Amino acid sequence: MNFAAVVSRLSACVFVIGLFTSAAAASSVNRDYYRFGVLPLQSPTKLAAMFLPLTQDLGHAMGRPVQFVTAPSFSEYMKRVGKRQYDIIYLNPLLYTEARKAGYRAVVKVGQEPFTGILVVRRDGPLQHLDPRRIPKGLRIGFPDPNAFAATVMTRQYMRRLDINVDKVFQVHYFGSQDSALMALHSGLVDIIGTWRPSFRSMPKAVRADLRIIAETPPQPQMPIAVRGDLPAAQVNQIVTTLLRLSDSKAGRKVLDALGFRQGFVRANDAEYLGVRQ
Amino acid sequence: MNAILETAPADVLSGNADWSKKLPFTSTLRFRLILSVAVVHAVLMGLFIWDAVSEQSDSLRAELQNRGHALTSLMAVATTNALLAEDLASLAEVTARIRNQPDVKYGEVVDAEGNVLASTDSRRIGRRVRDRIASSEAMPLPAGDHVLDLREDIKVAGRTVGSVFLGLSTDNLDHALAATRNEGLLFILIALVAGSVAAWALSFAATRNLHAMILAVRRITGGDMDVRVSATGKDEVSLLARAFNTMVESLQRTSEQVRSEHEKRTEAERLACVGELSASIAHEIRNPLSAIINSVKLLARGDIAEDDRSQLTGIVNGEAERLQRILNDFLTFSRVPESKVQSADLCQLVTETVALLNNDSSLPQTVTMRARLCCQQCLGRFDPDQIRQVLMNLVMNAVQAMSGSGEVVIEVAATQHDLIVRVIDSGSGIPDELIDKVTRPFVTGRNNGTGLGLSIVQRILMQHGSKLQIVSHRGVGTEVSFILSGA
Repeated sequence: MNFAAVVSRLSACVFVIGLFTSAAAASSVNRDYYRFGVLPLQSPTKLAAMFLPLTQDLGHAMGRPVQFVTAPSFSEYMKRVGKRQYDIIYLNPLLYTEARKAGYRAVVKVGQEPFTGILVVRRDGPLQHLDPRRIPKGLRIGFPDPNAFAATVMTRQYMRRLDINVDKVFQVHYFGSQDSALMALHSGLVDIIGTWRPSFRSMPKAVRADLRIIAETPPQPQMPIAVRGDLPAAQVNQIVTTLLRLSDSKAGRKVLDALGFRQGFVRANDAEYLGVRQ
Repeated sequence: MNAILETAPADVLSGNADWSKKLPFTSTLRFRLILSVAVVHAVLMGLFIWDAVSEQSDSLRAELQNRGHALTSLMAVATTNALLAEDLASLAEVTARIRNQPDVKYGEVVDAEGNVLASTDSRRIGRRVRDRIASSEAMPLPAGDHVLDLREDIKVAGRTVGSVFLGLSTDNLDHALAATRNEGLLFILIALVAGSVAAWALSFAATRNLHAMILAVRRITGGDMDVRVSATGKDEVSLLARAFNTMVESLQRTSEQVRSEHEKRTEAERLACVGELSASIAHEIRNPLSAIINSVKLLARGDIAEDDRSQLTGIVNGEAERLQRILNDFLTFSRVPESKVQSADLCQLVTETVALLNNDSSLPQTVTMRARLCCQQCLGRFDPDQIRQVLMNLVMNAVQAMSGSGEVVIEVAATQHDLIVRVIDSGSGIPDELIDKVTRPFVTGRNNGTGLGLSIVQRILMQHGSKLQIVSHRGVGTEVSFILSGA
């Protein structure tokens, strides 16, 4: 393909994306359905399998469809959040601090174990302990995305406290999603990765058996679900009520099982996220 | 008793039977063989080609449909993640690649809410649209529909998150089907031509000897018994040709025997006829000659009275005239000239003859002559002078048979090919014992007749390929008829 063709195609893509995003933004006011934007923590299909039962349940409760959407990357996701293209969002605590600036407010959070990042290695890999003096040179470390809070930000902070300069000690690779990072570790593309427990748990048992968690970061506030600030209060209440009562019914527990949040959701205090810093 | 002299059919006399005429090509065995082989060939090839074309058409349609389904499934798989992530650039890449696939008319990715996320038609992107189709179409498409519309829902965990739509143009398929159909027709045409050529060759080989036999039969009919047909092959027709040759040889031998016998018989009959004729002449001459001799002897005597002398002189004169008439008629009979057949109007001839006879003072005025003609003009092929003589002789016979009064009618009738002449009188009729003999020389029912009139008539008619036919009823009359060829 020659240069002119590349430019032509890129121009067309940009035009198309611009056309669509402007249309999506313009239609957000008068849409007859809600958009539930999920941070691309994992592959889109995996996220869809997790969140589609929830969006369907929410749609029934709110009397209008709730569309599950995610984004190709954290940055693209946050661009859309910045443009308020989502009505409901699910993201990590760090990115929530950005979303607050765009007018989103956390209403519930995952009632799971503490929100931590973990460092995982292969059982037969060259690295089994995080002792800065014993880390062989030239090892490779993988993360899902630079903005992945638990997997990247928190694990980097943790290693910094251990006096490990990640960018000097390791060759750093980003794989786009938690699953990709885990599979990259399992297949030997990297020697250690930063991730979080829900993604680790979602791996097949055979994969998990080959891997080992060698460190876990101190906890941070759990992943919140936030709503756009201009949503009617009644609708917001409906969302909160629906999410909090999921664990009260058999159908609701099925939704939580699909999400992997067995303990359901609890109310979120917006103030607890104010202390989250990179 | 009725006496009938049969007239032979004209076609037999002329030797032009139907079988000897040239057949129209469409009636020939060769044409029918070519036609039947060609038709069977064409029908069988047509059925075979039709089946092959149908099978190939079904295969092409199935191939297009399968390719469409495969492409749709591939598109659904390729766009699932991008659809969920609203990764429009990736979706655009997929639809761009889809657009480049053969026969693709359109491709589109739509999310669960009906928003077009990617389309080969960029004007539709970002719009919220109704579904193009509820489900995929199946081949064959309805008349006038040239796009195979396919749909596949993108499902994740049993839930539909979007759909892909794909339209495949059937133009190339239609062209391919038309080309296949045309090829089929071409093959049928080739088969037809090849079959016809093969059938022609086969029929030529099969009927060549038959044609040779037909030609041989024509020559045999013309009298050439030396003709033979080629019989070199080993098939049934060659066997027939050999049998034909054997039959012709046998026929030739038989014909020669018959000819020999006929010549002998003819010679015998001729000698017998000469004898009979000589006897008849001698008989006819003897009586008047005796009367003359006796009268002359008596005249030589000097003692006869003047009245007796005068009576004897009258007898001598009368018998001498009779002898002269007999000899004249005999000469006329024996010297009937060759007929000069030409195209002439028989009706006019009859009219002139009737007028001539009506003005003949030697005939009794109590006999009426009348012509009954079929039409104003009736052309035939005959010698006018000879036929006039025939009519005169027949009328004279009729007049003499009526003993002084009555009516003679000369009737001319026409058929498709012939003219029929009848001379009908109201005389006393011919005695039964004479009716078979009246055409023989010197046979007459009258005292003063020579018995050569009808013989002359019969001879002239024979030269015209005809014969006298006589029907007579005693006390009622006689009808004498003959047939002449039309012009």
